[in-house]
Amino acid sequence: MLKIENLHVRVEGKDILKGINLEINAGEVHAIMGPNGSGKSTLSYILAGREGYEITQGSISFHGKDLLEMSVEERAWAGVFLAFQYPVEVPGVSNIYMLKAALNGIRKHKGEPELDAMDFIASVKGKMKDLDMDEKFLYRAVNEGFSGGEKKRNEILQMSVLEPTLCVLDETDSGLDIDALKIVSDGINRLRDPARAFVLVTHYQRLLDYIKPDFVHVLANGKIVKSGGAELALELEDQGYSWLEDKKAS
Amino acid sequence: MSASNENIKDMIGQQYKDGFVTDVESDSFAPGLNEDVIRALSAIKKEPEFLLEWRLEAYRHWLTMEHPEWAFVEFPKIDFQEISYYSAPKSMADGPQSLDEVDPKLIDTYNKLGIPLEEQMRLAGVAVDAVFDSVSVATTFKEKLYEAGVIFCSFSEAVKEHPELIKQYLGTVVSQYDNFYAALNAAVFSDGSFVYIPKGVRCPMELSTYFRINAANTGQFERTLIVAEEGSHVSYLEGCTAPMRDENQLHAAVVELVILKDAEIKYSTVQNWYPGDENGLGGIYNFVTKRAECRGDNAKVSWTQVETGSAITWKYPSVILRGDHSVGEFYSVALTNNYQQADTGTKMIHLGKNTSSTIISKGISAGHGQNTYRGLVKIGRKAENARNFTQCDSLLMGDQCGAHTFPYIETKQPSATIEHEASTSKISEDQLFYCMQRGISAEDAVSMIVNGFCKEVFKELPMEFAVEAQALLGISLEGSVG
Amino acid sequence: MSVTHLPNTHYAGLLATATTSKIEAEADWLTSLRERAAAEFNVAGFPSPRDEEWRYTNISAIEKSQFSLSEKTAEVDQALLDEALLEGCYHLVFVDGYYQPKHSSLAGLADAVTVLPLSEVFTGSKEQQDLFKSLLDSVIEEHAQGFINFNTALFSDGALVCISENTVVDKPIQLAFISSQDGALKLSNCRNLIYAMASSKATVFETYTGVADSCYLTNVVTEVVVEPNANLTHSRLQAESLKAYHIGGVYTRLENNAIFQQNNYTFGAVLSRAEIHANLSEASDCTLDGLYIGCDHQHMDNHTRVHHNQPHAVSNEFYKGVMDDKARGVFQGRIVVAEDAQKTDATMNNRNLLLSERAEIDTKPQLEIYADDVKCAHGVTVGQLDDTAIFYLRSRGADEQMAENMLTFAFANEMVERISFKPLRFKVLDELLKRFPQAGMKKEWL
Repeated sequence: MLKIENLHVRVEGKDILKGINLEINAGEVHAIMGPNGSGKSTLSYILAGREGYEITQGSISFHGKDLLEMSVEERAWAGVFLAFQYPVEVPGVSNIYMLKAALNGIRKHKGEPELDAMDFIASVKGKMKDLDMDEKFLYRAVNEGFSGGEKKRNEILQMSVLEPTLCVLDETDSGLDIDALKIVSDGINRLRDPARAFVLVTHYQRLLDYIKPDFVHVLANGKIVKSGGAELALELEDQGYSWLEDKKAS
Repeated sequence: MSASNENIKDMIGQQYKDGFVTDVESDSFAPGLNEDVIRALSAIKKEPEFLLEWRLEAYRHWLTMEHPEWAFVEFPKIDFQEISYYSAPKSMADGPQSLDEVDPKLIDTYNKLGIPLEEQMRLAGVAVDAVFDSVSVATTFKEKLYEAGVIFCSFSEAVKEHPELIKQYLGTVVSQYDNFYAALNAAVFSDGSFVYIPKGVRCPMELSTYFRINAANTGQFERTLIVAEEGSHVSYLEGCTAPMRDENQLHAAVVELVILKDAEIKYSTVQNWYPGDENGLGGIYNFVTKRAECRGDNAKVSWTQVETGSAITWKYPSVILRGDHSVGEFYSVALTNNYQQADTGTKMIHLGKNTSSTIISKGISAGHGQNTYRGLVKIGRKAENARNFTQCDSLLMGDQCGAHTFPYIETKQPSATIEHEASTSKISEDQLFYCMQRGISAEDAVSMIVNGFCKEVFKELPMEFAVEAQALLGISLEGSVG
Repeated sequence: MSVTHLPNTHYAGLLATATTSKIEAEADWLTSLRERAAAEFNVAGFPSPRDEEWRYTNISAIEKSQFSLSEKTAEVDQALLDEALLEGCYHLVFVDGYYQPKHSSLAGLADAVTVLPLSEVFTGSKEQQDLFKSLLDSVIEEHAQGFINFNTALFSDGALVCISENTVVDKPIQLAFISSQDGALKLSNCRNLIYAMASSKATVFETYTGVADSCYLTNVVTEVVVEPNANLTHSRLQAESLKAYHIGGVYTRLENNAIFQQNNYTFGAVLSRAEIHANLSEASDCTLDGLYIGCDHQHMDNHTRVHHNQPHAVSNEFYKGVMDDKARGVFQGRIVVAEDAQKTDATMNNRNLLLSERAEIDTKPQLEIYADDVKCAHGVTVGQLDDTAIFYLRSRGADEQMAENMLTFAFANEMVERISFKPLRFKVLDELLKRFPQAGMKKEWL
């Protein structure tokens, strides 16, 4: 589904990613872990197409197409979803309105008719219930005045409504207490599907206790320094990242 | 203010462009303004003596006035002798004969607004009789109003049919000496609308310039007078459905509203005159005086405006709250893109006891646009317990534009309460990226955010008007997101 | 947009006749600067209400009163002096616009700090003269309004204050301006120059007082430069006679990372205008506090202007006014954010109370913004006391009048409590209590 080859990225003259290779197939869950400043968030922004990053080398293909050639919204239409580490407040625009606009944009792109408003609201409300979100959130401005946990749940709600094929979750566990983390993880697990892949970008093992990854990659200093199964995450939890840094230095 | 006079001549002098029709010299006045021009104008319109005198008084006073310089707008000096002050109403035959002859950009705009074809033709000035029976619509409409006792006609018609009402109310809210452009308008106004709602009548439908067939093509100096008698109610819509075709470049209108005891007027405007091109060339100068006077107790007036057009907008729909417990409201969205300039706001003059006013102003600046809110809240000595709440928000898009807030608050009443808040925000890269990541295109994202920003004003507009206003904002902002 | 207005013949006459040097051994460059200012004055005169910036303040009474230039006085009433001087400060005293050495005291002032009356500049060192030359007229914008030109043409004295790099001044420096005039319709023009060099820290007060009920005009201009990382607190207390006229201005340039706090307390004068202008460079921090308390027929105009010229600067402005009797309070504040001043954070607040049916408040808070990535907000209220608070106090036994007085006092006192230097805080409090004797407050309780 997603193939990243030899990706080099520079930001403001500084090399952040220095040759990333990663292949992700439908149905897989990949965790990307690493110390702060290793380039994890950069990788998620690159996948979503954020400006301000200079790709100096390498390629990313998504469903066989050149992802880097696509605009931000084209990627969204094609099925890329980024759950933001810091979801953005959009004052004046209600949640329901944005969800509808986003979903209809994707459906239009797929050549599907717009959803009936009543059906749409009913389906969204069902999904909100699963995430233990109050219906009143639908009519509040996007993320405005939401607590950290509410924002994260709102991201998962959007994900479940838009039904992307590639879900990139950037530090989704940060700012969540244990109860909220369970709800959010359950929400994510419900979306696991043979046709859908997940990339979990996280600093801590914590999220992986609830969402079991198929693969774990350790990103350090702009490169994937180690890949393995779910057990690698536990190893990191025990030993921290410093042993990796040491290894690299030696 | 030093552009060449040549330019301005081109902009103001032309009566017809875009190849609309040619032979106009014969029924237009030569450019220029003097007492003879005014006499001739009044004679053509067969006006009573009092009106001619009134025009002449205005003109004589206008000669003594200086062009106002205080607004936050810049434009070359206007030569008032270069303007023709009368051109005969266009007959249908003068207009384009089919939509093919109309500027495709205009048609494009209509399509985006979802305006039906017949409507497009009417708006574009295409002779529509054959396709669309406007006369019959107008007739049924008039009958219904007649039954209710409502008078709704062109100003010229009112002068002939109801001279006593004109004499009683004309110039009593905006005098013929009021300000430079109001005086000029009083001297040379060509036509406009007149509305009279009798005592206790609730106007059975929303009145709009849409139906004002007779008053079409009123030119650059139009005058509107609305009188709401005791306990009556009317909602008046102006500029309606779409951008009106109007080649005139200087638009100096006057609107007077008289609201008596327990009466209410709701006046909504969607202004989308030609804003000039993306380089700031051309466009309408929209210098308008609009004022309402709440003469009786419990009178209420509400101005709602969505201003997306015009190269320069300069207007302050105002309310004089004379009656006790009277209420004034002003809801405004003003958008400036490219090189548009807007200096707009309101004046709330509290004279009566327990009067209250609300001002919600939303300014959007994009491109090189300059957007200024200028508002006065004045509480007179006797206006006990007067209340005002003002909120002015500015939204900036891009770093070449400007947003300015100039409120004036003058209070002479210790029991008055005035609150004013202003804020400035921008559409951030983060917000755009977030929306785009959810599959919403940059332009749709901007339009969503902008419409959210304007929500408080749009909810004051009649439903179908609000939908159009939203679409208009989208169109006006096209190309402002890079 | 300034409106030209013919100069008043009396004042133009003063300029024409008083052409000899006003300061001992005045240098030629100053004389020609004065001539230029006089020429500008002769074209535009004093501002008129037709000028948008002067729309609420008509100075025709100043024109009609035909004040004449004050002269050096030998003696000054000791009681007046005692009241004017604040404890714990260095003092520079000016009476009727002239330096009074015998009442001034700079004992203990560090060498790194220059505090000098302008009347002694040209008899002082070359460094001092150069400093004076480089500062004078360096902060004021072009085409200054009439009172500034009038001041430049005629100033007789004033203070030059310069704090060297990395110097912290141990005590505040008080510039005390006292009018000893008693009915002679005199005017004085002083000019102050304050220069806080890089990384210095200082507090400077300007106080204005005069013989009670005497009629005179004070026309003062202060120019301030705050260099990178310097921190300057500047407070002005205007407590002139209730029949006097006071036109004053503080014009400031803040360089990168400079910190400037300006406090402006207005109690005196029948008509007064204070102009506080600040030009902000990158990442500078500017705080403007103001309090204006008017009664009788007083007219108080506060005119502030904050220019954000460069990115990342912060400004906070907070002005409070209380108008009683037939007093009229004016607040005109303007924040300008230039095109390059991204990440500006600017707020302006103006709160007013009207206590009488005959009093008036006119307020005009303005934002003029040319940059898009900025946080700007302003808020204004004109209103009355909180009904529930009055009710609460009454329910605890205060009578209604008492409750109102207490709350009014509390409203104003919020600004007073922000003053950290005690002698000044008590002085401002005294002035406040003079206006609210009925508040039943005693200083000891506060």
